[in-house]
Amino acid sequence: MRSKLLVGTLAVLFGLPFLLLALLAVGEGWRFPAALPPAFSLAAVRSLLGSGNDLLAGLGRSLLLAGTVAVVATAGGFGLARAIARSAWARHWEVASYLPYALPPVLLAVLIQPFIIRLHLSGSVGGVLLGLLLVALPFATLLLRSFWTQQATEYEQLARTLGCTPGQALRQVLLPLAWPLLRTALFQTFLLAWFDFGLTNVLSVGKVRTLTVQVFAYVGEANAPLAAVASLLLLLPPALLLRLNRAALLRNTP
Amino acid sequence: MRFRLPKLLLGGYGLLVVGLPLAGLAYALLGSVGLAGPLAAGFTGRYWLALGHDPGLLYAALYSAGVALVAVGLSTGLALALVLGAQAALRRGPLLGLLYVPLLMPALVLAFYLFQLLSRSGWLSRLSYQAGLTSRLEAFPELVQDAAGVGIVLAHVLLTFPFLALLFQAIYQESRLDDYYQLTRTLGASAGQFRRRVALPLLLRRAAPTLLLSTVATLGAYDIPLLLGRPYPQMLSVYLTTRLQRFDLRELPAAYLAGFVVAGGLLVLLVPALRYTRRHAL
Amino acid sequence: MKKLVLSFLGLLGLLSGCGTDQPRTPQQVLGQSWAQVEQAGQGQPVTMVMWQGDPLINQYMNTYVKPEVQRRYGIDLQLVAGQGAGLVQTLAAEQQAGQPSEADMVWINGETFYQLRQVDALLGPFVEKLPNARLLDLQNPFINTDFQQPIAGMECPWGNVQFNFIYDSARVARPPRSFAELPAYLQAHPGQFTIPNEFTGMTLLKSWMMALSGNPALFRGKFDEAVYKQWSDELWRVINASKPYFWKQGQTFPEQLAPLHQLFANGEVAFTFSNNDAEVDNKVNQKVFPATARAYVPLPGTIQNSHYLGVVRGARHPEAALLVINFLISPEAQLKKMDPNVWGDHTVLNLVALPAAQRQQFERLPSRRYAPRRAALQGLALPEPDPEYMTRLFKDFRTYVIEGHAVPAS
Repeated sequence: MRSKLLVGTLAVLFGLPFLLLALLAVGEGWRFPAALPPAFSLAAVRSLLGSGNDLLAGLGRSLLLAGTVAVVATAGGFGLARAIARSAWARHWEVASYLPYALPPVLLAVLIQPFIIRLHLSGSVGGVLLGLLLVALPFATLLLRSFWTQQATEYEQLARTLGCTPGQALRQVLLPLAWPLLRTALFQTFLLAWFDFGLTNVLSVGKVRTLTVQVFAYVGEANAPLAAVASLLLLLPPALLLRLNRAALLRNTP
Repeated sequence: MRFRLPKLLLGGYGLLVVGLPLAGLAYALLGSVGLAGPLAAGFTGRYWLALGHDPGLLYAALYSAGVALVAVGLSTGLALALVLGAQAALRRGPLLGLLYVPLLMPALVLAFYLFQLLSRSGWLSRLSYQAGLTSRLEAFPELVQDAAGVGIVLAHVLLTFPFLALLFQAIYQESRLDDYYQLTRTLGASAGQFRRRVALPLLLRRAAPTLLLSTVATLGAYDIPLLLGRPYPQMLSVYLTTRLQRFDLRELPAAYLAGFVVAGGLLVLLVPALRYTRRHAL
Repeated sequence: MKKLVLSFLGLLGLLSGCGTDQPRTPQQVLGQSWAQVEQAGQGQPVTMVMWQGDPLINQYMNTYVKPEVQRRYGIDLQLVAGQGAGLVQTLAAEQQAGQPSEADMVWINGETFYQLRQVDALLGPFVEKLPNARLLDLQNPFINTDFQQPIAGMECPWGNVQFNFIYDSARVARPPRSFAELPAYLQAHPGQFTIPNEFTGMTLLKSWMMALSGNPALFRGKFDEAVYKQWSDELWRVINASKPYFWKQGQTFPEQLAPLHQLFANGEVAFTFSNNDAEVDNKVNQKVFPATARAYVPLPGTIQNSHYLGVVRGARHPEAALLVINFLISPEAQLKKMDPNVWGDHTVLNLVALPAAQRQQFERLPSRRYAPRRAALQGLALPEPDPEYMTRLFKDFRTYVIEGHAVPAS
């Protein structure tokens, strides 16, 4: 009984956002004190398909950016974690990897912005990518650091002794062994980039209009229907990931 | 070549992860003494001297710390209560799966949703008006953009508590606490004693680094206070960006200074704390 | 180590993938004939930085201007959000780094114009180059002077507006007719009024401060510390005395204009404001405001100002930007923009200079239904004071009103 109540409460608590966002997306002229929209309209949803609309493009930009961050950070993190494991300064590298976490992302963005401008990256996808990697790469590195134990090294050496080339050892021994962790790293770094607003907004100078940046813009002009549509779009890929693999969503901090 | 590649990789990594933020910090420091920035006019110490007269930064820091501690504290409490009190339900049925749902939500979307739900002209207020519970819009309590930061705390609890519950549950299972439970029961301890003396300390100790990082993340939160906070008091990230975007360019050195002080302060406080918790969490 | 740095920078270079086109000097750009400008600007992309806080303005730009410049010149116009100090900082940093700018043209006025000129980030003088410039009403002091600074061809007038109060006539029978009546009104009707902590709110504060002084002429010319101190102190005294009767007892203020409009639409407050005297019409037409919303200008008057378009000194496509600006001040684009159903922004053209047929089109525009007539406002227009007044008001409003610190005695 008690557990049913608990489940019910949480279901309402976590389900309500989807309901309200959906109502906002199709409601027209919905003002206080109406409990439900006086009229429904698919205008905001339809504008997704309109040529002048930026939402679909934003979805594409966000997907591309988050996908690139995930792949680069995970691949880079895998190699870096190995290099750190074999370095004489392993502890120092680990502590250094925490540096980007100690600072709020927005502050980090503000601090590195003068250099982003000097690197000709201001307002470009490249600049935002660099900023996001600054957070995602150490994240993946720390996460994958736990793979490179004595045991993994021994497996690698064993494979080499048995005649594998380094490439074969990587493909046939190490990658399969590391796959669960790699998948987690991919999901997590994807979400990290997907969810980000502050850092992207500062580094993009308003130019790289990802979905989160658009949600904020629509909220700023008090355009609730479009903000709701953009919000729902933002919820889609993570929901898909949840269906694909629940466990990989969890490890939020290495 | 085989020896060069990892070194090269680590070197690049060091430049990105340590070099770039530290360079930014140095630039902010130069900006705060009038040696860098658009209107830099030569060395001056007056922004540093003026720091003592401006309580704004300290106030924002204290407010952020308060919000972060309350939000993470509440989330930890709720998550522990769930994991220790509803263990059976977590192992069967849909409860565990439900806890994943908030992990799908970007902070910005959650903030937008909460504003639409809880503001005085929001959905709850409309429903309560229709139900005759409130007669006017002003009769509805202020739940977002309120003085105490209730809305901000609520948003963070909604995001953090399910995550911590899942984390505690994972630790609970990994550490085979159920076996310990049976064991302590056979040895004559009560369920309550097991929770307090065995499970609680173990969960907290092993989750300590994550709890610390969650606190830091909340301390530096931007999206949620931006939508659910007031112009005053402001949380740190919002305070810093507002200062950087004031109309007056001559205010920039003071804003750089604030950025430098916050970043420096957080690093000095957190890196040792993190090392400590990580060492003792294992 | 040095090698590492180099390879890292190489990597970053790859990421950016940008060319190394050297910016030309302003003389080179502006020395061209208009035919050359047209030739060079064809088919280029243009990035315009603008305030994007109003859906109708965004719509005008997206659904009218963008396709038009594409059709006429093959120009791909990209609109990006940005204004004020953030914009100045970005342009100044690009300038310092000696690199071409991410922006080609900017929508500015007042203190942004002043600061951009301070950091030398504007290209010009360019206005006389534009063929449509001869149609501009450049004799009008509300157009040729921007916050007491002569525009000197460094920015091109785009629209002209006057600050006004908007109220809900269904809730407010008799709004305060003057700034002098405002405090008594607030006391009698608590909770209906607030001040947005942004541009429009600052225009309200400037108008109120000038009204308190009883002599707007005091605010002409360069910033005067004594004048500011005297009348801003008075302003904070009056506002703080009325603060308990503000929305939410004056404990908080909206940070943006759109949320205040939202509060007004939901009936949470009875007043909102606009820097654009025709906004009430476009908001009622869009059904954002109730049909009972009305606008007026309180006595002794409010600030009337113009907003402008500038070209960035380091622009990659300055010629294309000039083509876009020339189009934006064409009678066609100005007429479209002035329609209250589109934007309602008053034209900066001298209607007398237009051919009779075009002039009639302007005169026959669907008239304002809820806003006062333009002619009735002219006697109630105050010129913008030096930008420093606004900068200081913005800072002090936060300190002495929002944060509630005591005003130091002089």
